[in-house]
Amino acid sequence: MHFGSLVALDNVDLSVRAGEVHALLGGNGAGKSTLLKILNGVHQQTAGDVAVFGTPFQGNSPELARAAGVAMNFQEMSLIPSLTVAQNIFLNHEFIRNGLINEAVAVERARDLFEQLNVEVDPRMLVSDLSPGQRQLTEIAKSISHDARVWILDEPSTALSVTDVERLFESIRAHTAQGNAVIYVSHRMDEIAKISDRLTILRDGRKVTTAETRATSVSQMIEHIVGKKARDFSNLSLERKTLGAPVLELDALQDTYKLRPVSLSIREGEVVGLAGLLGSGRSSLIKLIAGVDAKASGSIRVAGKPVEFRGPADAMAEGIAHVPESRATQGIIGSHATSDNLTLSILDRISVRGLIRQQRVRALSQKQIDDFNIKVESQSTPVLNLSGGNQQKVVLGKNFGIQPKILLLDEPTAGIDIGAKTEIIDAIHSKASEGMAVLVASSELSELAVACDRFLILADGVICEDVSSDDIAAENPSGVNMVPFIQRVLEEKIQDANKTLKTESFGEKQ
Amino acid sequence: MIHFALKNWRQNIIYIGFVLIFLLFALTLNDRGFLNPNNLLNIFRQTAMIAIMAIAMTYVLSAGEIDLSVGAVAGLTTVTVALTISVAGPLAGVAVGLLTGIAVGVCNGWLTTRVGIPSFLTTLAMMGIAKGVAMWISGTSAVPILSRSFAWFFGGGSLGIVPILFFWILIFGVWGHIQLKHTGFGRRVLATGGGETAARYTGINVKNVKFQVLVVSGTAAAIAGMLYAGRLQSGRFQLGEGDELSVIAAAVLGGTSLFGGKGTVIGTIVGALMIGMINNGLILMGLEYSQQLIARGGIIILAVALSQRQ
Repeated sequence: MHFGSLVALDNVDLSVRAGEVHALLGGNGAGKSTLLKILNGVHQQTAGDVAVFGTPFQGNSPELARAAGVAMNFQEMSLIPSLTVAQNIFLNHEFIRNGLINEAVAVERARDLFEQLNVEVDPRMLVSDLSPGQRQLTEIAKSISHDARVWILDEPSTALSVTDVERLFESIRAHTAQGNAVIYVSHRMDEIAKISDRLTILRDGRKVTTAETRATSVSQMIEHIVGKKARDFSNLSLERKTLGAPVLELDALQDTYKLRPVSLSIREGEVVGLAGLLGSGRSSLIKLIAGVDAKASGSIRVAGKPVEFRGPADAMAEGIAHVPESRATQGIIGSHATSDNLTLSILDRISVRGLIRQQRVRALSQKQIDDFNIKVESQSTPVLNLSGGNQQKVVLGKNFGIQPKILLLDEPTAGIDIGAKTEIIDAIHSKASEGMAVLVASSELSELAVACDRFLILADGVICEDVSSDDIAAENPSGVNMVPFIQRVLEEKIQDANKTLKTESFGEKQ
Repeated sequence: MIHFALKNWRQNIIYIGFVLIFLLFALTLNDRGFLNPNNLLNIFRQTAMIAIMAIAMTYVLSAGEIDLSVGAVAGLTTVTVALTISVAGPLAGVAVGLLTGIAVGVCNGWLTTRVGIPSFLTTLAMMGIAKGVAMWISGTSAVPILSRSFAWFFGGGSLGIVPILFFWILIFGVWGHIQLKHTGFGRRVLATGGGETAARYTGINVKNVKFQVLVVSGTAAAIAGMLYAGRLQSGRFQLGEGDELSVIAAAVLGGTSLFGGKGTVIGTIVGALMIGMINNGLILMGLEYSQQLIARGGIIILAVALSQRQ
């Protein structure tokens, strides 16, 4: 498979057995997406063959792939927001009676699919009203609605809660138990280890290895993916830092929708993690501080000074940078050049008397490209053409450009490979050691465990617990496997917080 | 709950607005004959062509495209139909009229989906071409239509008291509504406009969908042109001139999104009737044409602003 002069995929053999879950791993730009798109009929290979259960499959349309028995979910791009869940699931293969669509059957069948997945989503809801987790489940339901024998699940769990992931795994096992196959793609090593039987690792468009999952350690996987000995996060030593004065203080801050009054204070050099399920208010809080959403009541102080934000520009003027949740729509302008994206936040610094100086654009962009190790052909390459991890580095570079005092990160490593993830966490640490205060919301607890000094457990818009990394570490005096330990503790705390909440609201209803 | 009610209120603003304006006119213009049955039927007569084109426009907008050539195509069709009838009779006239619309629609669709010119530009250019051709082949003069059956069936006639144009709206409305909301074609149209990438990944041929809606729009414009020709018993290149604005306004007033993915035929018809009613009321008020234009523009902007706000 060629894209222009680049070879995206070079002579790759992959064989998936009936009855197995086969994991596909690789960094950004390793060729995973290209391979999946060929399997799914979106792209056509320039050389080589694909066979499904022995039948050769060729063609460049998703319909042909479907007819061959292959179904794949897409990462947040195959749903139409203005249609309902059921309408989306059966889009283009509706139930027709007398020439008309039978909506009732579609709703019934959609219910069955969600039942098969062990989850609850109302098929009559509009997709635009769904939470990210529900959207992801709808994507999965849509892909399996074709009774396909081969499921390709591409990052199916990024927006799911721990419980929903567990349920998804159950239905995957049920599917393979019937002699079908699943190709599972994820950046989350713990999931790969848990669900897959065998795994194939791609790097730079070539196959590195295919192996039994049981016989492969996580650090071996990472080594194959990045192509060099990687630092193992699982034994991170937690060093003590000296923290400065409070730089961001919230007092009974509340939005009009999700959050109950939130008070907290973050000090210079501190990295604080927001942990909680989707819809717990993680993003809402970040957006409030970033000036994206208007507050309903309460106050924000930056470096002791009360501030009022009428929009993101006001927050940026106070030195608050925001790396938003949705890279594609909120973070980058995809069709614009990498250099234009990197300098969009600092137009005043690249302009002289109102005119943009290309020299400055080039110099400043090059600095960011070097600092963040952004892999890009040239500065003028549209950001759209970069891999997810490099796109995110562009968003980070853009935000660091304003030299912020406070950095807000919302899911900073969603859909990013382990190599880029490490680089991003390193960048956070180094900026924090220079005195920047960081607030990071993430659904990946392992990442929070590595990155943060302190954790806030959120459930249903309430901060239920505020616990420091040191306090959790003290419960594990051996100091071995510290990161997984912290991750487990956080998981438990989130579940406890949600349980308490449920009992409370049940009590209210009585 | 309040949020939900508010949202629905926004969605249904067209119906509320329709009733309010109707009541306003009924109260203030009663002595000038607004409620006279003949006047009310006149509103239908004056609205039918806009409504039919707007129903097709609902499809075009829902698919994320636009068709600015409808008014000019209607005008061109009046001329081709009138010329054909004068030499080969009404049946040939209808066939040529339909072919005119289909041909323009195919051109629009081909240029938009195969050559890749945005429909805004394709149809803007086609507007000029259609008008130019109409002026050229008619020598800029009106072409009379002498066939009575054609004039009766296409716009002039009535069944009892009910004008035939009412039935044209009814047939197109029912057909358009069912097609959009209850068939696979309609679902593909809404999906294409609601998320083109997503639709493509779902196996929908979005180029074909866009091609089809532009052909539907051209055909509907031709039918509207025949209704103009039948009602006025002549073909003139000026007929339908400027209709594209009323047509798009009717669809948007009725809740169709200019950005694609959302549209209802019933809303569009009510939107068209509302524009017709406003025109009628302004005339009865005795406003001059210049004042009518200003008032109509203001009312449309207000109504669209209310219906589009989140």
